[in-house]
Amino acid sequence: MSRRPSPASAAYVATPRPAAVAAIPAARRVELDVRATIQRGEEPFAAIMAAVARLTPDEVLVLRAPFEPVPLYAVLGKRGFAHWTERRADDDWVVWFYRGEPTAAPSTSAPPAGATIDVRGLEPPQPMVAVLERLETLGRGERLTVVHDRRPTFLYPQLDARGFTHSTDEPEPGVVRIVIERVGP
Amino acid sequence: MLPLGFLAVAALAFALAALTLPWIAGELSGHYYHPRILALTHALTLGWITVTILGASYQLIPIVLERPVWSERLGRWELAAVTVGMLGVVGHMAIASWPGLVWSAGLVAIGVFAHVTNTALTLRGLERWSFTAGMLAMGFTGLVLTTLFGAALGIDHVRAFLPGDFYARLHAHVHLALLGWVLPVVLGVSSHVYPMFLLTPHPSRRVVAVQTTGLALGVPAVVIGLLVAPPLAAAGSLAIAAAVGAHVGWVVAVVRSSRRPAFDWALRFLVAGTAYLVAATAVGVALAFGVVSGPRWALGYGVLVLGGWASLTIVGMMLKIVPFLVWYRVYSPLAGRAPVPGLADLRWAGTEAVAFVALTAGVGTLAIAVGMADTTAIRAAAALVLVGALAFAATLVTTLHHLLPCPLRAAVRPS
Repeated sequence: MSRRPSPASAAYVATPRPAAVAAIPAARRVELDVRATIQRGEEPFAAIMAAVARLTPDEVLVLRAPFEPVPLYAVLGKRGFAHWTERRADDDWVVWFYRGEPTAAPSTSAPPAGATIDVRGLEPPQPMVAVLERLETLGRGERLTVVHDRRPTFLYPQLDARGFTHSTDEPEPGVVRIVIERVGP
Repeated sequence: MLPLGFLAVAALAFALAALTLPWIAGELSGHYYHPRILALTHALTLGWITVTILGASYQLIPIVLERPVWSERLGRWELAAVTVGMLGVVGHMAIASWPGLVWSAGLVAIGVFAHVTNTALTLRGLERWSFTAGMLAMGFTGLVLTTLFGAALGIDHVRAFLPGDFYARLHAHVHLALLGWVLPVVLGVSSHVYPMFLLTPHPSRRVVAVQTTGLALGVPAVVIGLLVAPPLAAAGSLAIAAAVGAHVGWVVAVVRSSRRPAFDWALRFLVAGTAYLVAATAVGVALAFGVVSGPRWALGYGVLVLGGWASLTIVGMMLKIVPFLVWYRVYSPLAGRAPVPGLADLRWAGTEAVAFVALTAGVGTLAIAVGMADTTAIRAAAALVLVGALAFAATLVTTLHHLLPCPLRAAVRPS
């Protein structure tokens, strides 16, 4: 999540607070402010994913960042989290990640064959972490397509060790696609 | 992991070189052709810079070339040969024992040829030559020629056989190492890894063309010119300056367009190294054209190149590479199965900050102090550099301690 507002975030449109978010009491909100972390030049991705991992089923993550964390939407969306974003200032964004109305495959069930995760623009080793976390929810015979900006040389040994098959191609210049399938138990 | 072994040896060489600096302040206020200055120079060029590049290339080659290294076992033998050879070269230079220097240089040569063989067999059949791959090939060619040249200089001390002026040969050897070996590797690797760090585009075709042409024309011109025709060296220095200018212009552009919200200390080191490259190039061109001359300027130039550009750049690269290698070895098997730390969690920002301030300020002060031949100022600047080197070493130790067995990690490690 080491990105400043991307073209996608530049197109941010304010939307009303969803009813599912408005109904969440303060006791069920896990708040994480990564502005100081990013200001120091550090990567908050691991802390965010750790906070997500600690969430109980009825809790939500309220993330505060100095820019719109667009890459996180796909990463957490694939884990069953919907999001609602409010821009308080150009450098103050609050994003609610909550279960329900998922933007991608829900985490409560196995992801569908052909699920995709886009890890372009992430600094190493964040792409590897995002892919391996996503793969943990992959069932036998199911596939995950990873969109990357380079061949993930260090990911392949991990895939082999964990019983996944994989194939890589370049559908267009600068875009690398890795199709991963779980063949082991 | 193979690269970590090289990087650990290199960091030790850097720390030892920094430790000796305050004690040879007197020698540094004299002429540069002194056994202890030669020993210090080779501790830096061979032990610190070359061993770092050899180790880093074992990490970067699989990424850049998208294929595994041909033989890791050969790499381990290479590390042993280069380490023992480097210690022999530095030690025998310090005591001016030329026969001992020759066999030590032979060991270094064996290690270098092992590395080049390993790289060549890895490159074999490569279908698409990127700028980085081309620069690595150019750099390794320069390394082989530098090694042969250095061995010939060592043998010439025992049995004179080389024609021409001694200092011309010495200057040519130094510039073959810096411009033919270190510079192409730094330019090539930068073009690949800076965009990864800074989340920016790779250099344009024009920038790549200027760098490639500048080095291809400039390196032979400078080296041959120093040996036999000084005007050719001056012309070559302009070609090198053009390559450096293209590189620096690109670095400035990517720093400005970086999508990173803040710079970490590693990136600050890389930017500071680039600034020192500009200063070193300016002095180098001035020396080539005879605008400035003499051992004081030459020593100052050497400090800017070795201590400023090369060392700060390598420290910056190491602060990026070592945490990743350690993270990969320790935490990648756990990723997805348990919470894992990020790279920032493996670092010690406090020591990185101390290292940055002390090294960047210390090297600049040292360059000025050796230029003035002021022993007291040299000793003070050397002490500052030493503080920076020790802080850098502490940072590395902080990162490397994650390699030690930890019951918590063992508990969550999958069977």
